[in-house]
Amino acid sequence: MLPHVFRDSRHESPVKDSEIWLRESVSFRRGRCYIIEAESGTGKSSLCSYIYGNRRDYEGTILFDGADIAPFGIARWCELRRRALAWLPQEMRLFPELTVIENIEIKNRLTGFRSRADIMGMLERLEIANKADIPAAKLSVGQQQRVAIIRALCQPFDFLLIDEPVSHLDSRNNETVASLIDSEARRLGAGIIATSVGNKIRLRDYELMKL
Amino acid sequence: MSKNIVWRLLRRNISVGQIAGYALANLVGLAIVLTAIQFYRDVTTVWEDEDSFISEDYVIISKKVSGVGGASASTRFGSDEIADIASQPWARKVGSFNSAAFNVYAKVSFGGSSIGSDLFLESIPDDFFDVSPEGWGYEPGRSDYVPIILSKDYLSLYNFGFANSRGMPQVSEDVISMVPLQLSLSGNGRQEWVDARIVGFSSRLNTIAVPEEFMDWANSRFSSSAPSTPSRLIVMLDKPGSPEAESYLESHGYETAGDRGSNSKAAYFLSLVTSVVIAVGLIISILAFFILLLSIYLLLQKNREKIRELMLLGYSPAQVSRHYHLIIICVNAAVLICAVAVMLAGSAYWRTPLSALGVDATSPWPTIIVGLLLTLLVTAGNLAAITRTIRKSFFG
Repeated sequence: MLPHVFRDSRHESPVKDSEIWLRESVSFRRGRCYIIEAESGTGKSSLCSYIYGNRRDYEGTILFDGADIAPFGIARWCELRRRALAWLPQEMRLFPELTVIENIEIKNRLTGFRSRADIMGMLERLEIANKADIPAAKLSVGQQQRVAIIRALCQPFDFLLIDEPVSHLDSRNNETVASLIDSEARRLGAGIIATSVGNKIRLRDYELMKL
Repeated sequence: MSKNIVWRLLRRNISVGQIAGYALANLVGLAIVLTAIQFYRDVTTVWEDEDSFISEDYVIISKKVSGVGGASASTRFGSDEIADIASQPWARKVGSFNSAAFNVYAKVSFGGSSIGSDLFLESIPDDFFDVSPEGWGYEPGRSDYVPIILSKDYLSLYNFGFANSRGMPQVSEDVISMVPLQLSLSGNGRQEWVDARIVGFSSRLNTIAVPEEFMDWANSRFSSSAPSTPSRLIVMLDKPGSPEAESYLESHGYETAGDRGSNSKAAYFLSLVTSVVIAVGLIISILAFFILLLSIYLLLQKNREKIRELMLLGYSPAQVSRHYHLIIICVNAAVLICAVAVMLAGSAYWRTPLSALGVDATSPWPTIIVGLLLTLLVTAGNLAAITRTIRKSFFG
């Protein structure tokens, strides 16, 4: 698999050294954790977008349980995004005009996956429960990152795609977030695919891949 | 609450001004269309009304009689001429006047004395009559009397011309209908008396008409010659005052009975004006439709990121479009209701002068249904445009 933008640089570093691009095949399995490490601009977010189905500008094929995702239609992707694929985008994509709790509920109402108490519990665990009614725009980037993580967890999933989840978190918060994500993924028997430019999320055990 | 959250996100950038502008423009367009349709329908009941004063769906045509003794048979229509008229696009139906080829003498008896006169009779196919009186029809040997339909003009001629000047009593239609008539039919070496009664008056037919069945029977019995070709034709036009019909008749030197040309021109003019008004209304509505479409595209463009993000969260395009659909449906429904109200108000306004002319009001429902269909069409177009735009933005 290769993004179109790298088409002309397939014989150059870092594309030719990548453990994902240009490989015969790479598989991710449920119940395992993967951290994809790379420098910025090498396609981490693109990879997440390809797997999440919101970009199609790549060569090669992506298979979900053996099925090529290229012909998946809109309805199929909507279903996957509610039931199978959770995504934390690097830029968080919170709605700045909505409060923290509304930003989380807008996802949870769609899936009906968490009770309000669950959500408040997670907010407390990540130490932002007191911000619940504050518009997302007024949060620090680190706080926004934690809200976006909780939002991503408001659905059942087989894979959790987290794009630089702790880039703005200190090491203590990194630990809390990692343990929350770890426990949720374990409970669901799901896989985690995390990206990192250096500050890696502290998952208990993981496979490190170089992009 | 979820709906509320999504709605709160999506209603941003909705321009009340643009939607109001669209609603107003579409209201003007739709109101013009509906009012014009209703006006046309109300006014044309004058035409559709069978016995009405501008019943101009029919013309009676004959050839010009020139000189004296036009016995040269040139005033009769040949079968090829009839076929030619029948094949014209403006001629919906053609019927011929079948005239009696025998002598008719009519007698009225009251108390011993009687007065009588020579008479002529004609028949036309039944569906050309503007009246369908009881007792119409004839079966030789079984009917008690021959029903006759008389031109209203003849009765007026008698009442206001003859009776006035001679000091004779004026008679009503009802009285005349009760007078027993006797007809003497003779020719072909036979003579017979039959009873007859005037059963109705026609304002369309300028003749003394009997049922075709009677005419066929009597002609075969009292006439030795073969049935002659008709000298007058009655033509049902496809629309009142058809100018094509007028120019055709003129170019062939045919005359039409009565002087109803001005009415038919008025009718033609009315339908022309109505079409222009409806066209203007439709154009305004179409422009309004595009205003709304542009406004929607602008709104979707402004909210593009939000719409995309909602779909990244797993919201389906249908769930996102639903909110915009709701706005469109509400606005269009309101526009339709207002336009129908305008149409009804207008129709109430011209109802008084029209009812003074003896015209009954038509039901507004067909017009409302037209409005509903137009609105549905516009709404469907709007909704389809929204859904398409949102679906298109699904994959980046």
